[in-house]
Amino acid sequence: MPLTRRRTIATLAAGSAALASGRSLARNGPVKVGAVLEFSGGLELFGQQARLGLELAAAEINAAGGILGRPVELLFEDNKTDPKTAVEKASRLIARDEVVAICGPITSSARDAMAPTMARGRTPLLYATNYEGGACDRYLFVFNTVPNQELARLLPYLARTRGSRFYCFGADYVWPQKMFAQAEKLVAGLGGTIVGKELTPFGVKEFAPVVRRIEASGADVLLFALPGADGITFIRQAEDLGLLKKLTVGFLGFSEAYLGAFGPGKGQDMYVAVPFVASAEATGPKEFVARIRARAGQDAVVSHYVMTHWLALTALARALEKVGRIDREAVVEGLEGLTLEAPTGPVTIGAKDHHVTLAMFLAKTQGDRLVTVEALGPIAPESGCG
Amino acid sequence: MAADPSWPLLLLDAASHVLTLLLVALGLAVTFGLMGVINLAHGGLVVLGAYTVFAVERAGLGFWAGLLAAPLLVGLVGLVLQILIVRRIQHRPLDTLVATWGVGLAIEQTIVLVFGAASHTVAPPFTTTVAIAGSSYPAYRLFVMAVALAATGFTLWLLLRTRLGLMVRGTVADRRLAAATGLPIRRLDAGTFAYGSGLAGLAGAVTAPLMSIDPQMGTGFLLPAFLAVLVAPFAGPLGTVAGAGLVGGTESFVSAVASPVAAQLVVLAGAVVLLRLAAGRRVGRER
Repeated sequence: MPLTRRRTIATLAAGSAALASGRSLARNGPVKVGAVLEFSGGLELFGQQARLGLELAAAEINAAGGILGRPVELLFEDNKTDPKTAVEKASRLIARDEVVAICGPITSSARDAMAPTMARGRTPLLYATNYEGGACDRYLFVFNTVPNQELARLLPYLARTRGSRFYCFGADYVWPQKMFAQAEKLVAGLGGTIVGKELTPFGVKEFAPVVRRIEASGADVLLFALPGADGITFIRQAEDLGLLKKLTVGFLGFSEAYLGAFGPGKGQDMYVAVPFVASAEATGPKEFVARIRARAGQDAVVSHYVMTHWLALTALARALEKVGRIDREAVVEGLEGLTLEAPTGPVTIGAKDHHVTLAMFLAKTQGDRLVTVEALGPIAPESGCG
Repeated sequence: MAADPSWPLLLLDAASHVLTLLLVALGLAVTFGLMGVINLAHGGLVVLGAYTVFAVERAGLGFWAGLLAAPLLVGLVGLVLQILIVRRIQHRPLDTLVATWGVGLAIEQTIVLVFGAASHTVAPPFTTTVAIAGSSYPAYRLFVMAVALAATGFTLWLLLRTRLGLMVRGTVADRRLAAATGLPIRRLDAGTFAYGSGLAGLAGAVTAPLMSIDPQMGTGFLLPAFLAVLVAPFAGPLGTVAGAGLVGGTESFVSAVASPVAAQLVVLAGAVVLLRLAAGRRVGRER
């Protein structure tokens, strides 16, 4: 078949018509949002918490008529707690599924690995896990806390009520290191002292030597940043070896997912600062917990991860409605400077730093619950982004 | 820095660490050290032991029943594993490595499916403390140490002082000759592997009240246990006792005087040097 001008034009026209109809189909179909999360490989507990929040948000958005009349559809992908898999899943969601944004992941390593892919695909990543700060990009929004938001009020409270000699103990990676760097600044400002600082690799099963050293340091407060199962093992052994009777633990990165893991009557009176307390008496949190449990069962754990992931997707819907258009750039434009109502009060997304100012709560472990000690009000993030 | 903690306590902590490690490494000394099966499912078997105690206790039968059930159940799992998989590929070490790793993953994910991904706890059966060197030491830790010593003693007795042990050692030393003299080498293989697996189950069960029980807990056990078996200064389970002492003791003391990070570095670097120096000797004595 010879290539004539007429044929070429006809083919091009047909092609572009097909393309156009494809586009318009996408315009009337659901608003697709990806979620790349840890559903296996070690951190599935957090992945499941995130999923609860995202699913509730999607159901609520759709019950209220969707985003600009279009329903929202969540596409969940398991990153297997592996950065490389996270990147692969993100690429596919961006290229094949044409999502307007991606929620997740949980780990900083997966987030850092995904960041270049997100920027290249000009697709916003909505990250809703507490982390060390310093992740700054046009296509990255953070919906959970950075170190200063956890520490700014927790440390003065502990110094005032428990004593000003602090011992820092945590896992040997970036989040505890940034946490402790921030803590050192704050403790110096309070006139307190850091009597010891120590990091441990993951997978350690025997903490007796560390417990002895902390005990010998005469610390009043143990600032503790060892997440996950290792943290639980440490607290159990510290309890057995009598350390918890001699000092108070300030548990960094705590969430309700830990409750019950220490054993009945163990791990009591540990202090935390979190953006959400499930046992709170206020109407907002109470209703939020009830909404989650109506879907996920009456004994579902509702940690701040549920709330922050709910917040991320809800903010995305508000942002698109504000801009009045549904595409990836509209998500960025709409989220910058957005204020919305969370179960715990108003949340503001920084127009420049893309991190959130949100209400924080001083709380402690008591019985099998986390109970509020003091509502701290909104705390602005020191995100490390200009 | 304030005063150092007292030396008797540090020694006790180190002994506790060494003996716990020994308990985990003992099963590996049998399956890997003795039979030469690179058993990466060993960590998974330890986890299975811990979850057995958890499940039995949750069923209302109490801790002691769980402690008894764990080695039996995990031993049974080991037996099935040996007959279905290990026996068929035992002479291909690399395949064994991949296959047992896969089994380890399968065990881990099965646990996630049955018990969920969250951490669980088993309360120690007694919470009494003993006054040692001016500090109150949890009696349960002493019990774990006693169990480790008893299990090691029993294993050594079985191997070195019984007819069964003689047959096992004979099979390891020269399979063809052993088979020619009429030893039931297939059944000995299966039994030895099951025994090593049962020890893994016991290790998981008895240490369960000391730590968080979660599907991934096996990983933290596997590496030091392999190191203990690898750096064993001489062959046989007695060598593993020395290896566990070497790895656990170094780890505990460096951790006590420096930090856990330094401890891990020293142990790994030490293992590399030791293996490099002893490489020829090890290969020579393998078969």
